[in-house]
Amino acid sequence: MKPKNFILIPLILIFLPSLYSQLRIEIKGGLDDPISIAVVPMQWSLQSKQDVFIHQIIRKDLESFGEFDVIPPKNMLSLPTTREEVFYKDWRLLGSDYLVIGNIIQSDNEIDLKVSFTIFDVTRERVIHRGTVIGPKDSLRRVGHKVSDVIYEKIQGIPGIFSTQIAYIDKPSAFDPNYNLMISDIDGYESLSLFSSPQPLMSPSWSPDKENIAYVSFEEGTSRIFIQKLSDAERIGIKLEEGINSSPNWSPNGNKLSAVLSKTGNPDVFTYDLESSSWSQLTKHFGIDTEPDWSPNSRKILFTSNRSGTPQIYEVNVRTKRIKRITFEGTYNARGRYLPDGENIVFVHRTQGIFHIATQNLKTGKLRILTDTSLDESPTVSPNGNVIIYATKNGDKDILAGITLDGKTKFIMPSMKGEAREPSWSPLID
Amino acid sequence: MKITHKTFLTFLVIFLASCSSVSMDRTNDATAISASASGAYSDSGLTSQNILYFAYDKSDVNSEGRAKIRSLAKVIKDNDLSVRVEGHCDERGTREYNLALGEQRAKTVAELLIINGVPSAKVSTVSYGEEKPAVSGSNENSWSKNRRALVKTFK
Repeated sequence: MKPKNFILIPLILIFLPSLYSQLRIEIKGGLDDPISIAVVPMQWSLQSKQDVFIHQIIRKDLESFGEFDVIPPKNMLSLPTTREEVFYKDWRLLGSDYLVIGNIIQSDNEIDLKVSFTIFDVTRERVIHRGTVIGPKDSLRRVGHKVSDVIYEKIQGIPGIFSTQIAYIDKPSAFDPNYNLMISDIDGYESLSLFSSPQPLMSPSWSPDKENIAYVSFEEGTSRIFIQKLSDAERIGIKLEEGINSSPNWSPNGNKLSAVLSKTGNPDVFTYDLESSSWSQLTKHFGIDTEPDWSPNSRKILFTSNRSGTPQIYEVNVRTKRIKRITFEGTYNARGRYLPDGENIVFVHRTQGIFHIATQNLKTGKLRILTDTSLDESPTVSPNGNVIIYATKNGDKDILAGITLDGKTKFIMPSMKGEAREPSWSPLID
Repeated sequence: MKITHKTFLTFLVIFLASCSSVSMDRTNDATAISASASGAYSDSGLTSQNILYFAYDKSDVNSEGRAKIRSLAKVIKDNDLSVRVEGHCDERGTREYNLALGEQRAKTVAELLIINGVPSAKVSTVSYGEEKPAVSGSNENSWSKNRRALVKTFK
């Protein structure tokens, strides 16, 4: 196991241009009764050497959110790579609930490799899944995430999120005088700057098809919403209105944005039709209305308003424009985001002067404070609804942190350089 | 404002996933671009006479600030200047809400300039919310310096 580390580190340094900051997951806490799983080193039958090891990537993935306890190879009594070599007794002795074995071969073409793997239920002594993942040879890390996603889904019954990405804003630092719109894998690797500007960048939001990111840029001297395609250089500034142009957020079908304009004299929530390039006003109040988020069923939009005197979260029906107040506890509740179930929201809640991340059930109104850090903001929910990543402070430094919705596992994603803020979780792609 | 776009290509692998057999496709390349906007920001070049400070979560100007605005308005009118008012916030609270709060601050100052005789056509506002703090630090000393409106004049 150990010798791999010295191979890994130089590769990271080579592959990541110095401009790009990197996030790493560091786990604190975890479940009291994690699922025990053994991931056996996979048989490698390619000519080239492995720069990273699939079983190690899978191990790190599965341990990310505290749900799994992954048995290290040094504790294993045997290292099977085929079904015939599996003796359930060996794994029962280790207390392993599940076992994963596999092999990696050259794919039919030159660029790809093929991972064939089998997941065993040790207790029931049976195979629960046989799968293959095919991917580029030089992307072993991402091939590993894909295998992790399958293992996670087969055991937990909900999609794995190890192949998703986080978009975030990297603020100017000693390393880089610019604001950067960044994306990275959720383990912090493969980070990349999509856009760089000496003027502020804000509010990244992924399109539901994962092909575009909408965000706010001040490069023209005022706030303007841009949509940038990930696949090419195409970048469009959407129709600029006087005053604030902010808070873009996609409709679930990707045809519209909800956003904030202050052209009427104060900030209100608008929708923007991407087909017709036209704005239409959704809320109308002399106070501040901002931070819209579209409900998973498209019917409602969550927003923050200070119409009651303090910032509180409201929901507006997109068709009838009828408004319902959602939060009542405390004097600062803002930037709400729906959970994928559409029945719960996550938002910033201030209590005794401290900003925390909280959730609330839309039916019962029950509020639950999730985080114990301070100056917490910008919560973003994993597409499987299990994990929240948010922005917080470590001393004076902007960092990203995470917590599982059950509150049991916390982690921080410190950037090696630069400072990260405004995380936005990518959708799962089918 | 001149924008130049530098483009460079970097690979981003996007996945195509299915349940038991997954194949990954590398046809999607993410492209990184950058803006080099001129006029990098700073509070420098401004005297304390051009900076108004605000209370937490407030956008009203105190009597000292009003006196500042009166004398600023006179200078602006006498020299036939244009003015851009920038609203800023401290880091507490959410970014997009602070963007709105910063606009309220800028607009309050702009309205007071207009009341004091500056032609409205010569006044513009912009909010930077909490994105451009004057000083860093998560304490009241820093916060109080960051809750500000800057009155920037030009010919």
